[in-house]
Amino acid sequence: MFSLWIFSIAFRDNVFFKFAEHTFVGAAAGHNIVYGVDNVLRYGWTPFTKGALLYVVAFLLGIVLYTRYHKKYFWMSRFPLSVMVGIGIGLSMRATVTAEFIAQIQSTAALKILGVDAWTGFSNLLFIIIVLTVVYFFIFTFPSVHKGNLGIISKFARYAMMASFGYSFANALLSRFNMIFGRVDFLYTSWLPLPGAMVALPIVLILLAYAMIPAQKRPWPKPSKPS
Amino acid sequence: MSLFVRRQLPIIIVFITALLVMVDYFLKIEGTSPAVRDLQNWGIILTAFTLGFGAVNLFYLHTRHISRRTRGQWPFSIWLLVMIAAFSIVGVALTPASKEYSWMYNSTYFALSATIYSSTGFFIASGVYRSLKVRNLEAAILLLAGGATLLRNAPVLAANVPFLISLDSWLSAVPTTSAQRGIMIGASLGAIALGVRTMIGRETGFLGRLTEAERGR
Amino acid sequence: MSKQGKGLWRRLEEVPREVLYLLIFLAIIVPTVSPIGLAVPISDEAKAWYNTVDKLPAGTAVFVDFGYSGGGEPELGPMAVATYHHMLRKKLKVIAMSTSLEGPLLFERAMAEVGPEKYGAKYGVDYVHIGYIAGTETAMAAVGKDLRATTTTDYKKVSLDQYPIMAGIKDASSFQLLICFTTGGDQSEGWVRQWVTPYKTPYIANVLALMIPTMLPYRKAGQLLSLTAGAQAGEVELLIKVPGRGIKSADVISVCHLLMVAFVILGNIAYYGRKASGG
Repeated sequence: MFSLWIFSIAFRDNVFFKFAEHTFVGAAAGHNIVYGVDNVLRYGWTPFTKGALLYVVAFLLGIVLYTRYHKKYFWMSRFPLSVMVGIGIGLSMRATVTAEFIAQIQSTAALKILGVDAWTGFSNLLFIIIVLTVVYFFIFTFPSVHKGNLGIISKFARYAMMASFGYSFANALLSRFNMIFGRVDFLYTSWLPLPGAMVALPIVLILLAYAMIPAQKRPWPKPSKPS
Repeated sequence: MSLFVRRQLPIIIVFITALLVMVDYFLKIEGTSPAVRDLQNWGIILTAFTLGFGAVNLFYLHTRHISRRTRGQWPFSIWLLVMIAAFSIVGVALTPASKEYSWMYNSTYFALSATIYSSTGFFIASGVYRSLKVRNLEAAILLLAGGATLLRNAPVLAANVPFLISLDSWLSAVPTTSAQRGIMIGASLGAIALGVRTMIGRETGFLGRLTEAERGR
Repeated sequence: MSKQGKGLWRRLEEVPREVLYLLIFLAIIVPTVSPIGLAVPISDEAKAWYNTVDKLPAGTAVFVDFGYSGGGEPELGPMAVATYHHMLRKKLKVIAMSTSLEGPLLFERAMAEVGPEKYGAKYGVDYVHIGYIAGTETAMAAVGKDLRATTTTDYKKVSLDQYPIMAGIKDASSFQLLICFTTGGDQSEGWVRQWVTPYKTPYIANVLALMIPTMLPYRKAGQLLSLTAGAQAGEVELLIKVPGRGIKSADVISVCHLLMVAFVILGNIAYYGRKASGG
């Protein structure tokens, strides 16, 4: 039933969708709390009880994180945040240089233009040109380098990115249709065969259709007057 | 001193932790490995603590709706807080691996999550009809690439028109990969620059709200 | 052109969205209720995925990240199930963790669908799940550096020492393959940074179709041995000869995509028709 209520937003906002939406948000927040507590106990409390006494610092820092809601002592939350930001920067920077910079450039430079068939050579040359023009487009942000004759580079980069975005968009559709099918398949194979579902389905659909009628036009409930 | 503690010390902490993590990766120095291992575990614990922020924010927002009896909203706010409490109490008391929590998750959160993600498909599809029009050369390229991929993604067409598979392979291998690689290289340079700027204190976004005195420095 | 012609083009261009949604609903419901059995070609990436797992000898340790959320389950779930069928049939040692909050619960759903008993597989002996670990890349780095120092229990809070599968497992070097099922770019890219780059762990990733373009540069650079979309689950099911939810979606995907192509053509005809009629 939650699935039907959520799908109803495609047609019109209604009270059943709102109910389902608030259920989802509440459940998500509760789920976060559950796993937050679970992780603190498993990865913090357990080592602490086994002798890693320095972990008490991590607990204290974690509690201090919540001082960000305090009007006067909000600055204390900067310390645990600094630790997290520092770890994050260290972890990402140390590998980004190799994984997303050097490896990508090496892979591009290794492409053969000569000594291969004409189509492969052309494709590889086009590949290299697109990489260079797109990097140019993002690195050089002064307006003057995107005007005049140099503007051709930015234009070419934009056309290449449009082709990439078209490909991405089509894949996004594939993704979403797969997900919709997943829910429809569940409703058809797992929910409908349940006893009472064939009776419940038309009732739910009628109630949904009724809820989608604008408040002023439907006989009940009447919209409440503003106070 | 106070300004040092509130503004400079966090930046020093960022610098030292980031440097320690990077040094452990590039150099083999005695003692750094266990220190970084513990630091990473602390990072896990701190991230676990941050998982409660969503619930705290929702609590503030929705208790305000309830106290003000916001029209058309306050009954839903009560329900939302009930859901937070129900999940939290059952999950913490009985553990998330329990049958009861599993049932709660599967009958509410999972069904809603799966459907909410999928419902955006309708809006995207409606956008295909209304917005995907050949207005200029860029739109035409987007449409051609997207159209070719749409045709290939229909298994029945791909099975009967092999040219679509070759075309899609070329589209993904050449313009898509190269453009994405260019974006990735640019983004990685930006990330490195941002990381260095944060380490040396030029980027202070993570400090959050700055007082007048802190902003003056 | 007459006023009537202009009005027709405008009406065609401004078809109510409810009509479009209804057409999409029908395109999904009709093939679901009455499958057509349309053909499904097997892509090179699906073959690469299958071969990467298939060539591993029995007893090889594989690390799996159940990093998808409930929202991505309809797309990635069938692929996870198909891959587990393959791995358990080949008697691989499969150790899983989750970088997503819903991972452990989705792992249970996947195992209920796989039915490991039919391969003689036992939890703790042939497969295990060490739980959700917060922090994404921090978690990946911590587990890769020293798994036993990061966590000592599985997702049910039972000590890992009690499970025979965990014998000899200590860090990233203990695994011959890393598999990631995820709906988040942070996770799929994070494994490249935290495991592939420092430890050179062979890595295959299954992501949402819309994430494929952002992962292609890694694939081309050889940092990924295979990159598949969840929507390709049907192809892997055909390869392992265990049909499931993946292959069922093929008819629906075909019809929906043909409908989208029709939308594009019709939308452009309406646009140019209105422009030509002076609207």
